[in-house]
Amino acid sequence: MNALVERKPLKHRLIAWLGKLYPMAKRWLYHFHGGVFPKYHKSLSNRHPLLEDYIPDLLTLPVQQHLGVATEPLVQVGDRVLKYQRIADTNKGLSAPIHAPTSGYVTAIEPRILPHPSGLPGLCILIEPDGEDQAQPLTPAKSPATPQALKKLVHEAGIVGMGGAGFPTFAKIPDQRGCIEHLIINGAECEPFITCDDQLMQHKAQAIWRGAEIVAQSLGIPRVLCGIEDNKSQAIEAMNDALSGLSTASHEQTSFEVHPVATVYPMGGQEQLTQELLHLEIPSDKHAIEVGVLMMNVATLAAIAEAADEGKPLISRYVTVSGMGLEHPFNANVLLGTSFQALAEKASPKTALTYPLIQGGPMMGISMHSNNVPVIKTTNCVLANPPEAVEPAMPCIRCGECMDACPIQLLPQQLYWHSRSHEYDKVKDLSVFDCIECGCCSFVCPSHIPLVQYYRHAKSEIVRIEKEDAAAELAKQRHEFKQARIEKAEKAKKARLQAKKDAVKKQAAGKKPATGAAAAKARAAAAAKKAAAAKTTNQSETSPSEKPAQTAREKAMAAAKARAQKAKNQADNAPNTDSATTSTAEDKRKAAMAAAKKRAKTRQKTETGASPLKASDNAQSESDDKRQRAMNAAKQASKKGESSVSQEAGTKADTTAPTQDKRKAAMEAAKKRAKARQMQQTTPDQTESDQASDTED
Amino acid sequence: MIEALIVFLALAVIFGLLLGYAKIKFKVEGNPVADQIDNILPQTQCGQCGFPGCRPYAEALAEGKSEVNLCVPGGHEVMIQISEITHREPKEMDETKAPPDEPMVAVIDEDLCIGCVHCIKACPVDAIVGATKMMHTVIEKECTGCELCVPVCPVDCIDMVPQRPTPQTWHWPEPIANSLERRS
Repeated sequence: MNALVERKPLKHRLIAWLGKLYPMAKRWLYHFHGGVFPKYHKSLSNRHPLLEDYIPDLLTLPVQQHLGVATEPLVQVGDRVLKYQRIADTNKGLSAPIHAPTSGYVTAIEPRILPHPSGLPGLCILIEPDGEDQAQPLTPAKSPATPQALKKLVHEAGIVGMGGAGFPTFAKIPDQRGCIEHLIINGAECEPFITCDDQLMQHKAQAIWRGAEIVAQSLGIPRVLCGIEDNKSQAIEAMNDALSGLSTASHEQTSFEVHPVATVYPMGGQEQLTQELLHLEIPSDKHAIEVGVLMMNVATLAAIAEAADEGKPLISRYVTVSGMGLEHPFNANVLLGTSFQALAEKASPKTALTYPLIQGGPMMGISMHSNNVPVIKTTNCVLANPPEAVEPAMPCIRCGECMDACPIQLLPQQLYWHSRSHEYDKVKDLSVFDCIECGCCSFVCPSHIPLVQYYRHAKSEIVRIEKEDAAAELAKQRHEFKQARIEKAEKAKKARLQAKKDAVKKQAAGKKPATGAAAAKARAAAAAKKAAAAKTTNQSETSPSEKPAQTAREKAMAAAKARAQKAKNQADNAPNTDSATTSTAEDKRKAAMAAAKKRAKTRQKTETGASPLKASDNAQSESDDKRQRAMNAAKQASKKGESSVSQEAGTKADTTAPTQDKRKAAMEAAKKRAKARQMQQTTPDQTESDQASDTED
Repeated sequence: MIEALIVFLALAVIFGLLLGYAKIKFKVEGNPVADQIDNILPQTQCGQCGFPGCRPYAEALAEGKSEVNLCVPGGHEVMIQISEITHREPKEMDETKAPPDEPMVAVIDEDLCIGCVHCIKACPVDAIVGATKMMHTVIEKECTGCELCVPVCPVDCIDMVPQRPTPQTWHWPEPIANSLERRS
């Protein structure tokens, strides 16, 4: 550092002299590309004393003050909250809890306009301070020794990146020791007007170093560098002085250095400061952590020190209230949730604040849709610059100034052309996502084209298109999946029906071969079947529903009638109750059911003993039931048959042949009938299957 | 003379075999034009084109069996893209069916829902969960805003609600180029 200070004046003088001939000679003073030299106006707010202990009338605390997921309120309207009390938290993802900045009552939890470029409302917790500033007892945590302990501490204190990004700090800290080689303390503060980090370094240099020490010790970082722009000489001095306050042990483990850096915008950018201090360019596809660099803002480190040593969560921050429209700009340690309007009023505005206030500096700041928005964890400046006449944008003259000014060596002109003609894929190919939106290109543009606006729009448009594509792809997949599922269900249903059919067929087939002692029974059963078959055909002939199929069956019916007559002679006692069963069971369940219904009707007339068939029976149990009855019938028949067998003992072979013949004929008849019925029932069958699918769904 | 014939015959056979092999080896399944069209369709599966989903419409377009201006949610932009792919004349969109100005999602009024499962069957992307006689609800993330569930509801408890931007989903507007800048 000493070497730097000794060498610099000469170089500075030389370049200052050269700058008269060639203004851009100043760019030789630092190591990154581009950069601009705006008017800083820092003395406006720097010359006034720091304002502390200001408690406003109302605190508005948005539940989301960071990147990531919004927190959920833990308090209810009407509750009294104490200073440091946790009032909102969530465990749903990347977030940081929010604590009450002072004691008071929760008056409302409702959407309020946020300090966000959209000007949209978001959920806020409104606290009316009671002026007592009563604090909850604090429990100072032990100095964290491991990265996990540090992460826990930082998360519970609700600390987020206070330089402006608002990324929850705990998520930035790596999980392992020793993977970080350099901790860079960002005290560059390159935006014009803003002096809050400068003030913080002057007032709380000890705390900043203490915070750096805690982080360095828990992560095992060998080198800590503090980059401060050389226009903040008092801050450099204060930081150098405070270095001696650190323990000798930590000085042995870690080297702490202060590096004055050239005053150029945007020196405070993460990439730029890393490049300046370490001559290391962070690749666009990597995080700084992956190249062994961790960068933290001075305010973040001071907050970590307070959280570790005193157990204080983040409830206030240094804010610059400045601008050309204010008589007495100042810096203040402001409670989170204080409204912009109240702060600006305190600085005695020159004219009424009818113009929008700006959050942040003039280069990257965002003008607010309402002046009543609150200070949040990332607010570093409230700027009141009365609106000036805006130079109208002129056509691009392709001068290339923007390209020379771009600190990350993009091609702003190309990006502009493609963004304007909505060629977002080309904009993306030109790495628009590496753009840090510093505004150097717009600053130097002689045509006053709002270039950064175009890039911001292009970025959000690319994100939107990608989201839409992803949604379309998801919808497509889900639609295809639904289609496939329906198809599969239909196939499964068909297969089930087929399996049932096959099973019934098998049963029927299993009955055919009859040998030895069972032969007589089987024969008798067959005779009974034939009788029944004949009967059902007779019935179906009369039923009007079967008419369309009649022609197909007429021949079979005539034959069946004749056979039935014969069979009646043979098996007189065979009860007609039972069972065309085995044969009818061959067709579909529905066919069987229809037949059974008809039979049941006639049976009701003729018989009383037989149990009525339930149409709702499933095919298996129904056919089993029927088979049982058929067996009974067959026994009876066989008794009768026995007598005839005893009479014509020698002619057994002769009788078997005709009965088999008859059985075949009956089977054929039954099959034909089944087919006809199937054809006829296709329509009701369909509706029924639809219903079935409905219930399945 | 005969050598020439033999040489050319041999060449013809070789190339014939090559072509035959290439046809089998590099066979393209399905219609690539249909895939291309399917990719630009919005995949809401709303059926407003008269086809049961986006894919069938894309296939009909690829075979030249359908008009280019039937995709209502896609609007004018998609119509132009379709006519570019199919090399057909762009047609004016049907003015009576305009796409919604902002993205919509279906929302079930859970107090009114009787659990009839009609909407579940109608949803082309399975974005409604529920069971018979149980309350149903829409998975907002997966709803395509096709409105197919609205007419089938017997108690009219489904409403189409525009998705309002939140600070997280908000997009930077495009800067308005003035007449001077636009001259460039």
